[in-house]
Amino acid sequence: MREVNAVVLENKRIAENVFSLTVSTDDEIPIRPGQFAMLGAGEHVLRRPIAVCKAEGERVTFCYQVKGAGTRYLSQNYRAGERIPVLLPLGNGFFVGERETRIAVVGGGVGVFPLISLIRACAGRKEIFSYMGFRNKAALCMEYEMQRSDKLTIATDDGSAGFHGTAVQAFMQDIEEIRPDAVFSCGPVPMLRALKNAVAGRGIPVYVSLEERMGCGVGACLVCVCDLTDGRHARVCKDGPVFEIGEVEL
Amino acid sequence: MADLSVTLCGVTLKNPVIPASGTFGFGREFDEIYDISCLGGVATKGLTLEPRRGNPVPRIAERSGVILNAVGLQNPGVESFLEHDLAWLKGKTRVLANVAGRTVEEYGRICALLDGKADFIELNISCPNVKSGGMAFGIRPESILEVTRAAKSALKRTPLIVKLSPNVESIPRNAAAAEEGGADCISLVNTFTGMAIDIEKRRPILANNTGGVSGAGIKPIAVRMVYEAAHAVSIPVIGMGGIACAEDAVEFLMAGASAVQVGTANFTDTLACPKIIAGLNEWCDRHGVARVSELVGTLRLN
Ligand SMILES: Cc1cc2nc3c(=O)[nH]c(=O)nc-3n(C[C@H](O)[C@H](O)[C@H](O)COP(=O)(O)OP(=O)(O)OC[C@H]3O[C@@H](n4cnc5c(N)ncnc54)[C@H](O)[C@@H]3O)c2cc1C
Ligand SMILES: Cc1cc2nc3c(=O)[nH]c(=O)nc-3n(C[C@H](O)[C@H](O)[C@H](O)COP(=O)(O)O)c2cc1C
Ligand code: FES
Repeated sequence: MREVNAVVLENKRIAENVFSLTVSTDDEIPIRPGQFAMLGAGEHVLRRPIAVCKAEGERVTFCYQVKGAGTRYLSQNYRAGERIPVLLPLGNGFFVGERETRIAVVGGGVGVFPLISLIRACAGRKEIFSYMGFRNKAALCMEYEMQRSDKLTIATDDGSAGFHGTAVQAFMQDIEEIRPDAVFSCGPVPMLRALKNAVAGRGIPVYVSLEERMGCGVGACLVCVCDLTDGRHARVCKDGPVFEIGEVEL
Repeated sequence: MADLSVTLCGVTLKNPVIPASGTFGFGREFDEIYDISCLGGVATKGLTLEPRRGNPVPRIAERSGVILNAVGLQNPGVESFLEHDLAWLKGKTRVLANVAGRTVEEYGRICALLDGKADFIELNISCPNVKSGGMAFGIRPESILEVTRAAKSALKRTPLIVKLSPNVESIPRNAAAAEEGGADCISLVNTFTGMAIDIEKRRPILANNTGGVSGAGIKPIAVRMVYEAAHAVSIPVIGMGGIACAEDAVEFLMAGASAVQVGTANFTDTLACPKIIAGLNEWCDRHGVARVSELVGTLRLN
């Protein structure tokens, strides 16, 4: 966990309402796939949690959708050369076991961005089957990164690109054929629920990355909790954001 | 290099900067970012007799210059703190054990468990009293007197700080009630009760509907309240509410606070506390102040 006053290298629009922000952290910080950062947003009291999409040496790339005032601030105020407060790396990240050689990656919406870091880390070492869902063709981005997968299926809700339907539907069409050892997923809660139901009873471990509103981002304030199935609370920022799907209430 | 140390109730802190309760856990997470032994002390997350689950999410919302929170006192309970965290934290810095109860008796029992162990007890009295229709202990002077007496009689060795709520009629009267009940020190302010509405959904953002407002936007009100409290009692006062930089801390010291707490600013910048400590040193040097304690209560009214 480090507090860095990073230098913005690039902050550009890559799809409808989606931006890619690359910063330099001055020296290399080890980051695991699925970990995230808290990005400072000017006068906004709270930082915004954004997944690390790519980490190459001291260059770190985030992809974010403009949703409200904070992400709009990010998109409008950080130009190349400026400084941005970044706290990273945060959270547990994805862990791929030795024995898990065939992995399925199922993402929807902004959930595809943390999964790109996983695909990049596993490319060439694991057999990767990716299913990435977008609203429509205009929202589609970072396809060249996802293409590091052994097989990539793009899905759109309106059928304007790739498979017509959701990423989970596309994945379920293939599941018998690909027989994954583990599934890694991130996306809206209804999507995660659909995935949970779809794979129930198959004995395949499924790891999901969750979102929750955050205060500190480091595990101290207990603002970001989720319910575990055993009745306890877990902190999404510190104990997560990645959980085994059976471990959390969705 | 100014002398930043301050002495509160006979206990010396290396500087007057203390992360505020609920924003810093028991210090372990922030210690992964910087060595927290640089701090004057740490106010722990509110401790209760039994573990508490707290409120449903969302527990936080943001507005201009402020946040609202409704964590609802989630904590592992005082026993777990004593077993797993206190010794570690004491090895780093001074410990202000923030405690909360549902009844006057509960406050007494928690204080007894922490007596002689923590450096200070900080009594969070902004919690509902289940035996008097759920009104917070910290609203009326009579109930402040009662809960302070109960806590004080359970404490033989550890000084007692009573943390005042700002959601009240009269800060001077409530501060005086805490002093009369035996408080060794007062801290303020806790959060202001507020609401934030998602106008698309026509619903409050917080699952709890209302939450405590904190952050830079409350600072002028907090400074006024600290000034009022400091002039109503002869025991020391710890000031807080929106402190984000050394200059903010100086304002509180001048208003009469002997030390300060920093809450929400830890979220905006995890290094807020060490930066405030460094900034206080620079400010004192620039202004020819040899000891930071010389600033306390030096405000002159117009
Ligand atoms: C671990 C994690 C990783 C994330 N990674 C990405 C990513 O890679 N790309 C991306 O586009 N988005 C990501 N998000 C979602 C992103 O954090 C929110 O879209 C963003 O915080 C919205 O801020 P805003 O100011 O635009 O919206 P507002 O609605 O104005 O925000 C108000 C407050 O609510 C919080 N908030 C609102 N929506 C969310 C949400 N979905 N999750 C958490 N906090 C929220 C904000 O942080 C802020 O504190 C991630 C969320 C988490 C928890
Ligand atoms: C997320 C959060 C949790 C808090 N939890 C507690 C608590 O458990 N006990 C307590 O006495 N005060 C609690 N507070 C109040 C703070 O300690 C402090 O009084 C208040 O936030 C004002 O200071 P600030 O403006 O610097 O944040 C909490 C505040 C926040 C933001
Ligand atoms: S955001 Fe503070 S504990 Fe997770």
